[in-house]
Amino acid sequence: MSGSKPDILWSPHHPDRYVICDSELGLYRIGPVCSAETKPGSLPLSEETAATLLAINSDTPYMKCVAWYPKQEPECLLAVGQANGRVVLTSLGQSHNAACKELVGKEFVPKHARQCNTLAWNPVDSNLLAAGLDKHRADFSVLIWDISSKFAAETGVAAEKSRLPPMDLDSGTTVTKPLYEIGQNDACLSLCWLLRDPKLLLAGMHRNLAIFDLRNTSQKTFVNTKAIQGVAVDPHFHDRVASFFEGQVAIWDLRKFEKPVLTLTEQPKPLTKVAWCPTRTGLLATLTRDSNIIRLYDMQHTPTPIGDETEPTIIERSVKPGESQIGSFAWHPSSQNRMVVVSAANRAMTDFTVFERISLAWSSTSSLMWACGRHLYDCMEESAEGAERAAEKDIATKMRQRAQSRYGHDTVQVWRNHLLAGGNDPQLKSLWYDLFYILQWSAEDAELKLPGNKQSLYSGIKNIVKSSSGKEVSSRRCWIGSERQTDVPRYHSEERSLALRLCGWVSRGSDIDVETFLRSLEQEQEWERAAAIALFNLDIRRAIQILNRGLSSSPAGDLNLNVVAMALSGYTDEKASLWREMCSSLRLQLKNPYLCIMFAFLTSEPGAYDAVLYESSIAVRDRVAFACMFLSDAQLPRYIEKLTAEMKDAGNLEGLLLTGLTKDGVDLMESYVDITGDVQTASFCMLKGSPGEVLKDPRVQCWIENYRNLLDAWRFWHKRAEFDILRGKLDPSSKPLAQVFVSCNFCGKSISYSCSALPHQGRGFSQYGVSGSPTKSKVTSCPGCRKPLPRCALCLMNMGTPVSNCPGAGKSEEKADLTRENKLAKFNNWFTWCHNCRHGGHAGHMLSWFRDHTECPVSACTCKCMQLDTTGNLVPSDSS
Amino acid sequence: MMDLHILDHRLRVTSISKSGLEHFTHPLIKLIFLRNRTRCKFFSLTETPENFTLVLDEEGFKELQPSEHLQVESSTWLPLNVVSNGNVSSSSQAVGVTKIAKSVIAPLAQQHVSVFMLSTYQTDFILVREKDLSVVVSTLKEEFSIYQEVEGESVPVRCQDVTHNLQKNSKEAIQLTVHPVLIPPNQFCVMSLDPDTLPSIATTLIDVLFYSSSPKEESPDQELDCIKFFSFSLIDGYISLVMDSEAQRQFPSDLLFTSSSGELWRMVRIGGQPLGFDECGIVAQISQPLADGDISAYYISTFSFDHVLVPEEDIVSVMGMLQHHRKEAATS
Repeated sequence: MSGSKPDILWSPHHPDRYVICDSELGLYRIGPVCSAETKPGSLPLSEETAATLLAINSDTPYMKCVAWYPKQEPECLLAVGQANGRVVLTSLGQSHNAACKELVGKEFVPKHARQCNTLAWNPVDSNLLAAGLDKHRADFSVLIWDISSKFAAETGVAAEKSRLPPMDLDSGTTVTKPLYEIGQNDACLSLCWLLRDPKLLLAGMHRNLAIFDLRNTSQKTFVNTKAIQGVAVDPHFHDRVASFFEGQVAIWDLRKFEKPVLTLTEQPKPLTKVAWCPTRTGLLATLTRDSNIIRLYDMQHTPTPIGDETEPTIIERSVKPGESQIGSFAWHPSSQNRMVVVSAANRAMTDFTVFERISLAWSSTSSLMWACGRHLYDCMEESAEGAERAAEKDIATKMRQRAQSRYGHDTVQVWRNHLLAGGNDPQLKSLWYDLFYILQWSAEDAELKLPGNKQSLYSGIKNIVKSSSGKEVSSRRCWIGSERQTDVPRYHSEERSLALRLCGWVSRGSDIDVETFLRSLEQEQEWERAAAIALFNLDIRRAIQILNRGLSSSPAGDLNLNVVAMALSGYTDEKASLWREMCSSLRLQLKNPYLCIMFAFLTSEPGAYDAVLYESSIAVRDRVAFACMFLSDAQLPRYIEKLTAEMKDAGNLEGLLLTGLTKDGVDLMESYVDITGDVQTASFCMLKGSPGEVLKDPRVQCWIENYRNLLDAWRFWHKRAEFDILRGKLDPSSKPLAQVFVSCNFCGKSISYSCSALPHQGRGFSQYGVSGSPTKSKVTSCPGCRKPLPRCALCLMNMGTPVSNCPGAGKSEEKADLTRENKLAKFNNWFTWCHNCRHGGHAGHMLSWFRDHTECPVSACTCKCMQLDTTGNLVPSDSS
Repeated sequence: MMDLHILDHRLRVTSISKSGLEHFTHPLIKLIFLRNRTRCKFFSLTETPENFTLVLDEEGFKELQPSEHLQVESSTWLPLNVVSNGNVSSSSQAVGVTKIAKSVIAPLAQQHVSVFMLSTYQTDFILVREKDLSVVVSTLKEEFSIYQEVEGESVPVRCQDVTHNLQKNSKEAIQLTVHPVLIPPNQFCVMSLDPDTLPSIATTLIDVLFYSSSPKEESPDQELDCIKFFSFSLIDGYISLVMDSEAQRQFPSDLLFTSSSGELWRMVRIGGQPLGFDECGIVAQISQPLADGDISAYYISTFSFDHVLVPEEDIVSVMGMLQHHRKEAATS
């Protein structure tokens, strides 16, 4: 304030008033800009707000510090500390309050004049005003004045005098005896009353921070430090104090006052002001000299008290209210994160709000939440109303629904998994059919003990076609039911027929017979597809039949089918016929792609089937099967290669037919997962049929782990268990090793280990006919040393689980016996114990005990075992 | 228990002869008025009829050009400062050298440690030679918690750090050289000033400091016995001024701070011949009787003599005490 440096004080009770003090005091009112616009002399502070100067007070020269009286009445009473150490009470604007009138003008004069550095009103006992002064060899530097007591003693005198003109104005209004004098021989640079106890005053002395207790002023708690300027108590956390020295802020915890709990990164320029945000916890604003930014330190997530080991998390930000250098700033007392900044040079003021950081979190169930300031937003996906909306659903929702419908768990009719997934995703349908065929044929091959094929089946058509070794036979076949020779060459080889089988067109056998497939398509009413496949098998008559059947079966009577059937029947292989010409142009108007490619096939030159092969709305399997029939050895691998690359790029699961469950397949799946996030399908698919080395691919393991984590996050613990079981079956290497053993207190051996070792012994005994004898190990004793196992804290019976693996007789009955109730009953007998107090008992007993109790059942043990278990109180959200 | 702080200043004690002042006006103006231009943190200038005594840290000392007019005491001096650590002993109202006469001054005199005192408005500095520091610490460690200030931090001094080279520590009786005293009639005041307002009194200050010998229009013949004594110090940002009431009249009244009681002080100058720096017990000699009488005092050592300021109302009893002391010394 001396000369140039201004400061701002907000009124403690009027959220629209503040005082700027530099060489004089100016009271401003802040308001919306529109209402202020009309008035002359209003100063714009921001786009919305403007300030109006209400009053100016220049009665007190040599101001060094100012503090605003904390009580509601009298408002606008200010204490001003002067360069000579005098503290003067003054006010701004006219006040009609009598108490205020009597207080204004009162002066508090120290015995020895020196600069007053700081002032602090006691927040509770508002008559107490602490002043911190420079040092004097024979005086105290912290003087606590009572603004009322002296006043009360002199009011009588003052009242009498008021009849006469006052002779000496000073005598009635000057107080020279402070209520408390503390801090000898040392300068006091900053002061604040502690909020945890209004009798405690924290003072930044010349060499130390000291806490003075007014109840015993001869004692002090102190810590030697350089950081003694600008002491400020966190209004939200009364044990936390900030202070600074030059460019460094120190944060103190009064409970651990020996050293700062934190020091913030040092600034190159000396600090001038440090202030805790009154409207938000743990936010500290700092200002350095000659700076146009305010630096903010967010300690909201800093643990308190800070342990010695923990690395404190402080988020540092800076805000720039304007271009000019900042003289001072002040947080608004109630408006969130708002402050007014005054420039160093020309008293220009800016009103602005520090924008709160936004933190955002996805839940595991497709909802999104974000927090900004005191607002919390929850963004939920609208529940889908119809099937058509299903496609838009978030993948997390989809996966969750699919997990509930046991998607992926049908290991026999593998193709049915696409129905479990909802049955409306063509890619999944294609995928699961592909897997079905792969598994089916490889199983049959295995049964027939055909060597070598299994590998090739898994490795996809791309590799099968590549491996075909010049044994192709091309034939020119007749149109079935006609003598006419086609000019369409058709290729055969073992590999090609294998590929056709994988495409699902033909079943096992050397004969290429699509009739079964056609019939199944007819059953599914896929008339166009069936007709096209019949045509590709050079059976126009069958194609026409199928179309006719489709026409008659469909209730609406698709006119297209009729027209196409008629058109087909007019097929001619004459190159220049009108039929050809018309068909090749009109076919493009057909909406159904299968109908379209039928004519494309009929009107194409042999070997030039691009119109069929690159019709992307045709299922990949059909295109591949077509290619296997009609592309030459030179064309086929090229086409397959190209198609594979296309599928991989697009992450199209239909392409898995080509890649198989190979590394290529993982690449394809990777782009599928990248696009969709569907780790569920990826996990199941890779588990279903991949050979070991593909499963070991870190990407595959990552999908599987992520899917497991998802199930955990959804609290689908039963589903996760099922998944783990399935995974263990399909990928034996994934079975985790036993990590927890129950070991005997006496011999230290694992009791389950002994169990597995037991059968030998048992058999040995039974050989001698002593089974059932007392020596037969009881479940309640250690199988190793036969000493009793610990007792359950509740029933006091020795523990022990009869279900522990007892192989041998009765296995089948036992299995049949494993109903849900039975399983649960057996779980009830399991060992459980608290890792903290080491007490425990039968799982069932413990569970029922902790339903009604919080403390350990062992008497005199106060361990809150169940509360220590963070997941113990969660319930699964799926049903087993 | 009191704290004794060994401050982070390394000081030189110098004097400038009256006639040589003009050679040093540039560094002095810089050290007094241009605080931002110098890294000097400890500066004290005292004018006595004999010379100007300059006590300043090494940064300030660099500013002074060697000259025949500049006398430099060869040692480096360290300032000590006694701070009560909160436990106020309000039995004695006396301050300054009186307060520490028994706890610091007497024991150091006994150990033959020469001290150089410098009282200011804010505090009292006890300057000791750097080479005597170990003796000082071992002598005072029983009475005081001793801290050494290092870059602004107070570091406790552990006693085992101090080697016991107390070769001078022979317990011979203090040689009582009784120095003549001079008690001029001037009334002195001790004052302070907001450093920010220093520029506004600059011309007056320059006038008082550097042109005191120029003939004044008002003839000073009524105060022929008055001696010229003016002290200015700027230490760690704090200004302290000691001047007689005549000099004070030249300053604007609202800028200088002093005690609200407006107390005035009288001076006792010790020494007939320049005292030198090696004699011990001079401060003890005078502070002991003052402590016995519970009389506050400022003590300002200069290059030639020592000066004690005592409250005006106590000067008669101080004179009596000194007389008594002198007699005692003569009889012994």
